Amino acid sequence: MTATAEMARQLPEGFEELEPFVAYWAGESTADRMAARCEADMDDIQAFYDAMIARGEDAMRLIGEHPLHDLPADVATLTRLLLALAQASIAVELHGQPRAPDVPYPNSMRMVRSTAPFG
Amino acid sequence: MTSAEHSFTGRGNFTEGFGLTTEPMPLEPYRSRDFFELEQKMIFRRAWLYVCRAEELPEPSNFVVKTIHGTGVSALITRTSGGRVQAFYNSCAHRGSIVVKEESGKAAKFACPYHRWTYSNEGDLVGVPDEENFFPSLDKSKCGLKKIATSEWEGWVFINLAPEPEVTLDEYLGPAKEFLSGIRYRGADNPVVFTAVLNSNWKVASDAFVESYHIPHIHKDTIGTTFASRANPFARLIGAYPLGTHRTVSMYGNPEYTIDPKNRVEALGSMGKDDKSVIAADVSEETLEFLSHPAINPEGADHWSMDIHQIFPHLHIDTGPGGFWTHQFWPVDEKTCFYEVRFYMMEAQTIQERFLQELYIGRVGEVVLEDLANLKFTQDGIDTGGQDTMQLQDSEVAIRHALAQIIKWTQAQTVKEALA
Repeated sequence: MTATAEMARQLPEGFEELEPFVAYWAGESTADRMAARCEADMDDIQAFYDAMIARGEDAMRLIGEHPLHDLPADVATLTRLLLALAQASIAVELHGQPRAPDVPYPNSMRMVRSTAPFG
Repeated sequence: MTSAEHSFTGRGNFTEGFGLTTEPMPLEPYRSRDFFELEQKMIFRRAWLYVCRAEELPEPSNFVVKTIHGTGVSALITRTSGGRVQAFYNSCAHRGSIVVKEESGKAAKFACPYHRWTYSNEGDLVGVPDEENFFPSLDKSKCGLKKIATSEWEGWVFINLAPEPEVTLDEYLGPAKEFLSGIRYRGADNPVVFTAVLNSNWKVASDAFVESYHIPHIHKDTIGTTFASRANPFARLIGAYPLGTHRTVSMYGNPEYTIDPKNRVEALGSMGKDDKSVIAADVSEETLEFLSHPAINPEGADHWSMDIHQIFPHLHIDTGPGGFWTHQFWPVDEKTCFYEVRFYMMEAQTIQERFLQELYIGRVGEVVLEDLANLKFTQDGIDTGGQDTMQLQDSEVAIRHALAQIIKWTQAQTVKEALA
């Protein structure tokens, strides 16, 4: 791996194939990740879902080796990406489309507060 | 009680048990401007209104500002330097301006942003810039922030917009106080909060959250298989209790519920555990103590999902295997309400817990959105004027009791009479 690639690395080693999803999906808050799902195309959601769930157990295991409320930066990014899978599952497993049918978007629902970390 | 011992056929007797009529109920209160105004005057200006948990004000000088929708009141609620919770009208004695614009914070003093009139968190006026240019009629001791009657019960903070509340909070809560006494609310300092403006009368929204009759259909993909089963396909109630002007109902839970194989993400969150529930019920001592309270699953049923404790007029305190959550429905006008749901949870200690929370929060958001769409259809239908009454079945007893109480309050000359 070149020095440049190493510097650009955002996720822990071994999760390189998930790097392309970081910019869009690893939102800081639950509300960010919810908006990401609501505003994405189904193909993009499915691509992220497939890639992330394939590494879900590995990610969960690696994150579990660190204190949840004091994660190293790359593990924290992986955690935010893993949490986005919960949102992606709503499109893939529940609705079969990015958002619930019959619900206007944008709408008046506001997520005021979530829970730490990355809530 | 087991599911096999509980019959879900024939007609139930909750409604008769509440002493209520079984006749159709009027729809006019759900669409009438006059009735909305009557509710504002006779209920929201006389009843004790839940505004926040005490945990939102953990220390002296903490404050929150709450909009009391429909009434035009902005309430500044403080933990005074003396440690008491006290609400004030958020309005300056100088020329009436809003004093505190932040939604929450910590401050021993509040300075009005307009001309810097300054108040202590006990509401006393302590500073007037260029005071010598005012007239002798300025009596600073009479120019504090105007108090709103405030009372607290087991961490639930209530206000009363009447100049002199006719009854104490204890009298107001009546049998609900005893029934719910001593619940140890877990995660009360860590709510997940959603708000929405719903295009429906506040009662249309509140009613949707006290009946499970709609769940197998409207929420079939999100929570349908949790609340119904082959033994109880229409998600009938398992218990209902009148508590004066308040009430509790208990909902069925499918004891056979398992994770649908298509829900791979939920299965991932349960990795390494045999936990079945998304709410991630744990078996800590605190959880067992919470669940052993007589008001939580009062039937002691193994086929139980949750209880709804409806505190008049607009608060639901819901209790389930994983903890508690609340709904508030503030009337804005006869066909609009402001909705706030707060799910209280313990802060996650493991990634599995946090992941399941995120999944749960996501699904809750979808349930809110499903209701956002559905409640508008309900209101639009009511507004056509094509129906004058609604037909309520036995499992919709809480809707019937709530409306009967609301009508009673609008007709009662005194609060004591309304509570009698």
